[in-house]
Amino acid sequence: MSPHTCSVKSLHEELRETLSTGDPVHPWCRQKASEIFDLVHDVSQGQAGEDHLDSILELAGHLTDQGPNTKCRELGQYVTGFVNRNHEEFLSHIRTHTCPTGHCPMLTPAPCQMACPAGIDVPSYVTLVGQGKYAEAISVIRRDNPFPWVCGLICTHPCEFMCVRGRMDSPIAIMDLKGFAAEKSMSARQYVNPEPLPENGRKVCVVGAGPGGLTAAYYLALRGYRVTVIEALPVPGGMMMVGIPRYRLPREVIDREVSMIESLGVDLRLNTRFGADVTLDSLRSEGHEAFLLAIGAHGSYKLMIPGEEEFKGVLPAVPFLRRVSLGDHRMPGRRVAVVGGGNVAMDAARTSLRLGCEEVHILYRRSHDQMPAHHEEVVEAEEEGVQFSYLTIPKEIQGENGKVTGIVCVRAELSEPDDSGRRRPVPVAGSEHVIPVDAVIPAIGQEVQSHGLEAFEQVDWTRRNTIRVHTVTMQTRQEGVFAVGDAVTGPATVVEAISGGKKAASAIHRYFEGIAQPTLPPVPVRRRRLAHFEAPAALKTDLQRPQMALLGNERRRITFQQVRLGLKDTQAHNESKRCLRCDICIRCGRCVEICRDKMGIEALCLGYIDFDNPGPTDLRITAERCIACGACATNCPTGAMQMTDQNGYRVLSLCGTVLNRLQLEYCEICGAVLGPARYHDYIMKRVRDISPEMSNRRVCLDCARTASGGRHAEIRPPREEKKS
Amino acid sequence: MSQYYLFQDQKKCIGCMACVVACKSRQKLPRGPLPSLIVTVGPKWVGHLPRTAFTFMPCFHCENPWCVAACPTGAMFQRGEDGIVTVNPDLCVGCKTCISACPWGAPQWNPETGKAVKCDYCYDRVKAGLEPACVTVCPTRCLYFNTPEQIPEIRRERYARARAQDF
Repeated sequence: MSPHTCSVKSLHEELRETLSTGDPVHPWCRQKASEIFDLVHDVSQGQAGEDHLDSILELAGHLTDQGPNTKCRELGQYVTGFVNRNHEEFLSHIRTHTCPTGHCPMLTPAPCQMACPAGIDVPSYVTLVGQGKYAEAISVIRRDNPFPWVCGLICTHPCEFMCVRGRMDSPIAIMDLKGFAAEKSMSARQYVNPEPLPENGRKVCVVGAGPGGLTAAYYLALRGYRVTVIEALPVPGGMMMVGIPRYRLPREVIDREVSMIESLGVDLRLNTRFGADVTLDSLRSEGHEAFLLAIGAHGSYKLMIPGEEEFKGVLPAVPFLRRVSLGDHRMPGRRVAVVGGGNVAMDAARTSLRLGCEEVHILYRRSHDQMPAHHEEVVEAEEEGVQFSYLTIPKEIQGENGKVTGIVCVRAELSEPDDSGRRRPVPVAGSEHVIPVDAVIPAIGQEVQSHGLEAFEQVDWTRRNTIRVHTVTMQTRQEGVFAVGDAVTGPATVVEAISGGKKAASAIHRYFEGIAQPTLPPVPVRRRRLAHFEAPAALKTDLQRPQMALLGNERRRITFQQVRLGLKDTQAHNESKRCLRCDICIRCGRCVEICRDKMGIEALCLGYIDFDNPGPTDLRITAERCIACGACATNCPTGAMQMTDQNGYRVLSLCGTVLNRLQLEYCEICGAVLGPARYHDYIMKRVRDISPEMSNRRVCLDCARTASGGRHAEIRPPREEKKS
Repeated sequence: MSQYYLFQDQKKCIGCMACVVACKSRQKLPRGPLPSLIVTVGPKWVGHLPRTAFTFMPCFHCENPWCVAACPTGAMFQRGEDGIVTVNPDLCVGCKTCISACPWGAPQWNPETGKAVKCDYCYDRVKAGLEPACVTVCPTRCLYFNTPEQIPEIRRERYARARAQDF
């Protein structure tokens, strides 16, 4: 958790402390202070509305203005000052239902949601998918990301990296569930746009129809803005369309999601290059008052080795992939060397194979483990027959008659880790060798092509040739000009561009409305608070991450058909049940601590909850040891651990996972519910020394008291005794 | 056995429950828990008259308390200085074993705090030279709180008088 303390929680604790010591003593002040405490409590519990903050300030004002003594007036001033100083954080608690520090238990976000650059409410949509409510799942996702289908297929899914279930066995297939929900709801024609606000007549121009620009266009259109998106290419989608090959991301997917955005009234102008077909002045004269630069990073880094410029057959990955995407399916050469170890290198290599290249090599200067490309991508490339040469550094490109004939490489070995912990490749002397190829595809990085944007004179560029923006608002140095996507971050991911687009949309709205821009980074929003599924511990443990069916390898190598075939219904539903619901259980560990250290029972074996020292997890062991005392449930700050009586059984469950189920016993006199026999045995064992012959009668607390009261009653006068 | 004794003269008690309310009020308890309780017995026909008895049921503060033995956390304890049995809320985790162990149902469940509460003879008031809350508010003065030897021998006297009438 963050070392930053939550201001809401600290005011909550301070007021609790003050009230518990008996201050303020004056009843009028105490009443007001208690009311303030209750309101702050609501904020901290996520039960507050927008007017809570005004009410707190009003009550504090009463204390300050009308307080009968100094202490009371000081308290009022203190609360007013505190809330005003931390106004943004209070408001963020109320609006987002999220406390990023994790100090407010009910508002602690799940790690997957925190990891998502777009801040998607993952646990909620995963649960909705499990309930079969695909359209609802999509609408939850689209509150934060207008491209659920695209991201469901190609997202880098940092969420899965943080997934708590990954500490137990393997992470939830969050990305696949998103793709599944998108496909299902699109197919059922239930993938719909939310109702936009009425048009407000203000115009915004977005330069570049990639994920960043289109996301901003979507959220601006929903707020009633008229958005023009200009795109130099003949197709929308930016790198999604011309960077990611169609066997990973079918074109129809992008087309459908882009058309959803267009249908909100966004004016999408293709084949329109900024600076050539339209200018800043022409766009301004059309009435555009704000601009969003989302031009991406479509330039390529050069290898900087001899022969690179000289021979035909050297084609960087980005223009190569773009050329293929736009329909040019000629193969680059019979034998191809792709230089680089990232996802773009994999895409270029696998695309080359599909175009008919006989031999495709990937040359990477470090070792397998250090490749930045995703593991699945590498495995799939290997399966398809891409040959990997690790620890290989290109030195020179050779050619004859103006054409590439080979690439000279040296072998390398890894140095000891340097100060940054990274092991650098060091060339091995005398290891030069030639790999005969007739095409070389460098895929070692991309850069922003800034030409054409000179019209935005005040926009500031970084040393890396990216646009400098305020990271919270995405605003550039030039007023009314914002920037997002790869143009700001350098080559990054679709979901990061989407995150920027969303931030920019809200900043542009604030710019138009004259609302102060936020100073704190945006906080993911808890969209729903859904009930969890009930599942036996054994099922929760046994379910495995689904293996997605892949297209047959023979077909993969010769066609651009989608490789990953999607989840089946039962796979998706079961996968949803594996989710540990970290939006409810915040893994504070109180249950384990109480069961083990206080009760001495050690029935909870939840090793995954400790992030730093994860231990073994066994959900089934609880049923063997737990006495169903309920102390864990009583002390759970979020209600994740629950103890309920159902149909004659006492049931202990953690986020719906049934950990223990014991048959109940009933009072012999009134039939009221008593605990289960194991609980009774536990107590009997402890009190045996005091009263070895203590009766085994099962009597409830009330009946015991009444019976005892009856025994002590002096109802008969002595005369009565004589009669009997 | 605690060094104090709380005696109720049932003849005087009218079952007004003022003691019960005062007890809850002092411990700031929500709906539910009743650390002390008036158990109403009857009405029964005694001769030609319906008669009701009201038994005051606080905690007996046993010499060897079941609740203390049952508590796994050490929250329920017997005070060394006066033998009063009470709960330390900081240690209580709410396992309710004390409640289930007591044969007289004295420890009670506070659903608001998730902890056990019980009669502690208002030891803080006693220390300050006051009587327990229940005794203070009793309108009939039927409750007596003191060391056992100071408790008036009402029952004994009454019994002796009754026996005397028989002869």
